[in-house]
Amino acid sequence: MPSPDEAVVCEGLVRRFGERAALQGVDLRVAAGAFLLVTGPNGAGKTTLLRVLATVIRPSEGRVAIAGHELPRAAHAARPLVGYVGHGPLTYPGLTALENLALYAALYGVPAERIGPALERVGLASRGRDVAAEFSRGMSQRLALARALLHAPALLLLDEPTAGLDSGGQEVLREVLAEPGRTVVVSTHEPDWFDGLATGQVRIEAGRVAA
Amino acid sequence: MSRRAFAALVRKDLLLELRGSEVVLAMAAFVLASFVLFRFGLGGGRPAGGTRAATGMLWVAIVFTAMLGLLRTFAQEREHGIWDGLLAAPVDRAVFWLARACSTCLFLLAVQVVALPAFWLFFLQDGPPPDYGVLVLAVVLADVGIAALGSLVAGLASAGRAREVLLPVLFLPFAIPLVLGAVSATTGTISPQTSGLHTLERLGYLALYDTVFLLFGWGLFEFVVED
Repeated sequence: MPSPDEAVVCEGLVRRFGERAALQGVDLRVAAGAFLLVTGPNGAGKTTLLRVLATVIRPSEGRVAIAGHELPRAAHAARPLVGYVGHGPLTYPGLTALENLALYAALYGVPAERIGPALERVGLASRGRDVAAEFSRGMSQRLALARALLHAPALLLLDEPTAGLDSGGQEVLREVLAEPGRTVVVSTHEPDWFDGLATGQVRIEAGRVAA
Repeated sequence: MSRRAFAALVRKDLLLELRGSEVVLAMAAFVLASFVLFRFGLGGGRPAGGTRAATGMLWVAIVFTAMLGLLRTFAQEREHGIWDGLLAAPVDRAVFWLARACSTCLFLLAVQVVALPAFWLFFLQDGPPPDYGVLVLAVVLADVGIAALGSLVAGLASAGRAREVLLPVLFLPFAIPLVLGAVSATTGTISPQTSGLHTLERLGYLALYDTVFLLFGWGLFEFVVED
């Protein structure tokens, strides 16, 4: 049985897109407070796994639980616990950084007072009134990180978070990831970058956890 | 929390429209161009079918205009992959639909502020003045129906590859009863012999249509956007 001590539990997780199964029976357990790296070749199913855990897509078969909340039935209870940084920044290019965070603050029921500090934390305080379309890829990634951290999630899911980050951005990311008390699951092609942070690693190949 | 989320989503749509002018200007230009074409097509006069034919033209033009706007509905979310961010948030999926329906309705009303006077000028200038109160009510009820149905269908179409084809195919058949009701109600505002009971019946029909598609949208949108 899944318990709140386990941040993530997947048992026989299958996710199909039409006829194609992107995940073909993933078994995975992540303890609360752990830092897990998910590696594997392109198309192995890493992004699909993170999207299922972020409650963006439903599992086709199998059992998934976030902090004891079974998906998709209790997704509403799991969502406030999860922060998700996907491939893209998941922000509106036509809105400023402040407006984007204000939108997500409203969606997560977070006080607006947290927006300023969130931008400051990722080094974007001076660019808050600039529209996101003007941001470089690295700045967009920082904004994505600020968005994902806004509601102080207990579980942080990051999909290729180092892609496009400059040295300053990488420093910010490292600082955020080093903060204790949070479970982190990162999909990456650069496992060495996370030396000293990660407490475990799994490899996904063809939709399954490789032995 | 959902009320705050709803307000934030509507505000976002309005801000994006104010900055980008992607939808309302295009819709206004389209509906005015349609009226000009109808006018020239009719040889510069009133349609042979009288008021009923004229209001029919009005609502056909408005439905096609709405479709133009609906093609851009959820376009940003699709093009920039923003859906993943929204769906990860602890917000009832129906709130995303309701907020979009509300913005769509506001966009339609903004277009009609220009379109309705232009229509009267082009086609009904020599007729009796409409009952403005009932006309506004009929237009608002019809717009709510278009927005509720259109946002649901746009969400469904946005998941498919052939969105531009899928949207009209899904939207137009369901819009037929709405057009019939809107034409009837609008015609009633112009005809002096229309009784109060008939007016109420026509407005009631539109309100019923709205209720049905508001319930459908609220209940179904979760299944439309997830999977």
